Amino acid sequence: MAPDWLHTGIAMADRRRAAGSSPVPRPPQRQTSGADFLVQAGVRTMMREAVLKLVETRPEDPVAFLADYFGRLGPGPAGGAAAADLCPQLPGQLRLGRALWYLKLAHHSQRTAFNNNLTVAYDCLSAGGKKKKPGLNGKLYTDLLTKICHEGDLPKEISSALLKKIQCRDHEAVPFDVFRYGVVTCFVMMEFRSKADTLFNILDEDSQSDQRVCQTVLDTLKEALVASDLSVPASYLEAGSKLGPDCLAVAMDRALLGKKTGVPMSRNEFLKEACSLFLDKVKPMH
Amino acid sequence: MNPERLLQSAPEYLAQRHVLTYMEDALTQLLEHKDDLEPTDVARFFADYFTSVSQGTHVLFRDYSFVQCTPHNRASFLRLFWRCFRTVAKNGDLLTMKEYHCLLQMLCPDFPMDLTQKAARIVLMDDAMDCHMSFSDFLYAFQIQFYYSEFLESAAAVYQELLTGKSLNTVIVPTSRSATPRHRQPFNDSASLEGVEAPQFYQCLENVCERLRHSACPPLPLLGEIVSSAPRLTFYGFLMALAKHTGINQNIGALPDKADLLVDEILDSELEKLVAQISACSITQPPAPCPLPPREIIRVASPKKTLPSRRRPDLESDGSAEETDSSENS
Repeated sequence: MAPDWLHTGIAMADRRRAAGSSPVPRPPQRQTSGADFLVQAGVRTMMREAVLKLVETRPEDPVAFLADYFGRLGPGPAGGAAAADLCPQLPGQLRLGRALWYLKLAHHSQRTAFNNNLTVAYDCLSAGGKKKKPGLNGKLYTDLLTKICHEGDLPKEISSALLKKIQCRDHEAVPFDVFRYGVVTCFVMMEFRSKADTLFNILDEDSQSDQRVCQTVLDTLKEALVASDLSVPASYLEAGSKLGPDCLAVAMDRALLGKKTGVPMSRNEFLKEACSLFLDKVKPMH
Repeated sequence: MNPERLLQSAPEYLAQRHVLTYMEDALTQLLEHKDDLEPTDVARFFADYFTSVSQGTHVLFRDYSFVQCTPHNRASFLRLFWRCFRTVAKNGDLLTMKEYHCLLQMLCPDFPMDLTQKAARIVLMDDAMDCHMSFSDFLYAFQIQFYYSEFLESAAAVYQELLTGKSLNTVIVPTSRSATPRHRQPFNDSASLEGVEAPQFYQCLENVCERLRHSACPPLPLLGEIVSSAPRLTFYGFLMALAKHTGINQNIGALPDKADLLVDEILDSELEKLVAQISACSITQPPAPCPLPPREIIRVASPKKTLPSRRRPDLESDGSAEETDSSENS
């Protein structure tokens, strides 16, 4: 009478029962000692890597993280090969999935963890198949970026505009720096868009997003972003102060006082405008 | 995002979330089953194990020592207990403490009697321990007794101390020690007051929570709310309030609110589907025995193994019995 939720439990419990009481005469070659079995299966390495990854990533729910982690590890060969070393055996699509999984393990603001995962993902992608020489080519790199944007629910037009700027030619070799820049840009872009979405929610609180107010907010954002020269560190502070509540509130207040247009701005329009501000700042590859 | 966990040291993070407990158990389980596993299955095995932990089904049929060893395990066990036996509540059956204990032991064979007893005492107020209780009364009382058992033990000790007035006179001369309670008791009685003063008790509970930082304690704001509802309270009054408090129940997060205890539409619809399926199958064709005949033929066809084949049928039937079990379950 048990539905899905009991399955795993029963499976585990059955295994336990079977191991405890079953009179099955086991084949002699399988009766290895516990220590031998652990060595053979490379459990020590597997466990160590799992704990390291866990401590590095610090997920909110470590148990779910481990379930996913071991699930992704797949039927690895015995001998405790490191997770990254498993990649060469995988065909292209699987390698792409594996690399993407690594990239999503930690948020990009968790610098150390994210950088480590970047390296692993890069190695994984550039390990090469049977025929190919090692190294990451532009095609696989573009595929990866497309997949990141797709899974981040980035609209087609924005993601293609972004990709146009950061992709490489299919046959080109992609060095790590370029790979890193591209991947990080995608992730930051997605976060920027979700922040802009939150911003619109606030402007649209009673479903009355006045176009003028929205435009004012966008203009302030634009002023802060576009005018700043990113190579000068102080410009970050400047941009921050321009977006501070005083500046932004004054601008919004002025817009509210003025004559209302009565024309609402749609969410898509707002997000598109905001994203194009971001896209302007993305340095093109070519 | 909770930045606190990013600031913790690695051992702190692992200890707070009991990660090592589960890794150790995963290893123990792995070694127990090593003879049924290829070395290449290990990752799959761990994935299954942690999925089962995540879903809370990992405590099914486990020893009591494991069932109670983390708050997550305790919550999982409570949830299992509820989901397995909620039909009891649905039928409106009233059971005795011993019967509830048998139900508990079906999920955890060595579940200790004294915990069940303590839970029953919350419901029955110490008298007439062989009375019948409703499932929901028992369940919520059992929940706080099981989930907060360390906390409640300390709280009971603190309560006794307050009652006998020990902590009021922190410095007690040995000779006056026996005199103090005798002196206090009549004082309390004469004022016809039961229990202890709420603010004092709350202060003591705060200390208890501080002391038991590593065990599960009810959140202090909720404790304050419960304790401050009356100027004085008895320990059973406190336990009952704890058991009935919806905030506490939500904080544990294992059981639904009392009103929703019997509502489980998904399970109900699935059960109905299964019942329909089973009744349909039993008329037309038996579902499980289908894969059996080919195996039997193979077994007969191997004449070399005369001796093992004598033993095999019973263990094969053992296996097939389990199969029908699980197919009924699915």
